Amino acid sequence: MIQAESLTKHYGSKTAVDAVDFTVQPGKVTGFLGPNGAGKSTTMRMIVGLDRPNVGSVIVNGKPYHEHKAPLREVGVLLDAKAVHTGRSAYNHLRAMAATHNIPTSRVHEVINLTGLESVARKRVGGFSLGMGQRLGIAAALLGDPATLILDEPVNGLDPEGVQWVRKLTKQLAAEGRTVLLSSHLMSEMALTADHIIVLGRGRVIADASVADIIASAAQDAVRVRTPHAAALATLLAQADVTITNVEQDVLEISGLTVSEIGERAAAAQISLHELSAVSASLEDAYMKLTQNEVEYRTGDASAHTEAEAAR
Amino acid sequence: MSTETTTTQPSASRAPFVSAGSGLSFIGLLRSESIKLWSLRSTYWSFALVVVASLGIAVLMAFAMSSGMTGGVAGAGVENAQMFVLVSTAGLSLGQLIVAVLGVLSISGEYSSGMIKSTLTAVPNRLPALWAKVIVLFGFTFVVGLFSVIGAFLVAIPILGAKDLTANLFDVDVMLPLLGNALFLALIAVFAIGIGTIVRSSAGGIATVLGVILLLPTVVGLFSLLVEWVADIVPFLFTVAGSEMITPTTMESWQAFLVVLVWVAVSLGAAALLLKRRDA
Repeated sequence: MIQAESLTKHYGSKTAVDAVDFTVQPGKVTGFLGPNGAGKSTTMRMIVGLDRPNVGSVIVNGKPYHEHKAPLREVGVLLDAKAVHTGRSAYNHLRAMAATHNIPTSRVHEVINLTGLESVARKRVGGFSLGMGQRLGIAAALLGDPATLILDEPVNGLDPEGVQWVRKLTKQLAAEGRTVLLSSHLMSEMALTADHIIVLGRGRVIADASVADIIASAAQDAVRVRTPHAAALATLLAQADVTITNVEQDVLEISGLTVSEIGERAAAAQISLHELSAVSASLEDAYMKLTQNEVEYRTGDASAHTEAEAAR
Repeated sequence: MSTETTTTQPSASRAPFVSAGSGLSFIGLLRSESIKLWSLRSTYWSFALVVVASLGIAVLMAFAMSSGMTGGVAGAGVENAQMFVLVSTAGLSLGQLIVAVLGVLSISGEYSSGMIKSTLTAVPNRLPALWAKVIVLFGFTFVVGLFSVIGAFLVAIPILGAKDLTANLFDVDVMLPLLGNALFLALIAVFAIGIGTIVRSSAGGIATVLGVILLLPTVVGLFSLLVEWVADIVPFLFTVAGSEMITPTTMESWQAFLVVLVWVAVSLGAAALLLKRRDA
């Protein structure tokens, strides 16, 4: 369980994380989603005490991270694959980490087997591929058999087999009753893995809901139309509650009208259509829509929104 | 919201997530830092170089000295002891530079590789990790230093012995200076850890430490020619105090030792303060 309360982090004049509140529940996989610079990694670093929040606090498994007697047994963390000395072997890295908590060497071998690193465990980490580095990072996170796992972009650089493995592993860990928080920039991956999603944009929580709810609330279903008379069709269909986007030269994406409505009106106006299909919203669309709104209000109408946020 | 209450659901066969008995301990940190130190090739290279430099230079000096004298010239026992100490510790000045670099790298290498994030998530209170690193490197460096000077003494014995010069290793006039040299070597490593922690960069840390050891005495020496009072601070320089503590000239041994400790304490104190305060 991770609970953040008005967590805030400034770097100079830049606010990386801006009064963020959220709770990550045990027993499910929670996804941290957001564009680059949204504050995902900074938030994760604050959870494990690497960065100190300017305002607010975050507690994990009931206490601030540094108050735990056995932090590695409480929280396993993969911040980035490069948290390892390149001159050391994977085995020795894990042994050094395990020694701090008197974790037996048998557990080191266990996590090496679990992450499929047996063949390279004695090699120096400097020669590892990104995927191998990720596996080692996950091995280190699992070392203490922790109740909470925090994984920053765990599938980054993994091959398809590895991606599937992480997906299974995180689900299994959550099913065992652990708290699992992972970030990813792969929205499709998140849709397959996460049960619950927290969307961050520019250091704020934009959405905090189940995957299904996020898709339902943020994205509308759209209709994709291919026609050589795109401009004419756009003029024909233009009305208040309809949004039309020109995806390609001949392709429009229209929301606010059904497939049949568009087909009938085009036929009546004798506009030929080469393609007419419903596009169902994906998490990716929902995410783009959410973050796009965030960006828009930030640059255009900042003061109004800040007041709204303050009132909240 | 403790872990015990939140983890009641999982399958009955599962042990509790946080098992009692094995937590963070200082002994564990010492073991961890030893594993870290001895799982890098640079450690072996550095320590091997310290030993080789000591023995090699001792052999060279012993031959040079013995060739320049005829038998029977040697004076009293105390003078012999001084000569043997000089021969046994001459190579350590190179060893000091090597150990300084090793000390900086032991922490700056963690910053440049990102390892520091692993270290500090394992030890969120941070300072115990620094103390463990200091103790481990101090200990091993002292042992290596002592091994080097005693080894150098032992190789010098037969060479100078050919000219009827001899000294007893367990003579206070021999053993104390050798111990002092090993101690100062280990303290240089500790001083370097502090600088490495403050600077957080290998290049900057090595430049700073070598500057203090090599450059500072020269620069201050030059200034003392221009400004008279500057000469008074020369004994308070790190390396000057280090040699004063072994062969006192302007101050007592213990005073020089205190000066050395102040240098180390300032470096470590600033390091601890910054390590605790800064974001990793």
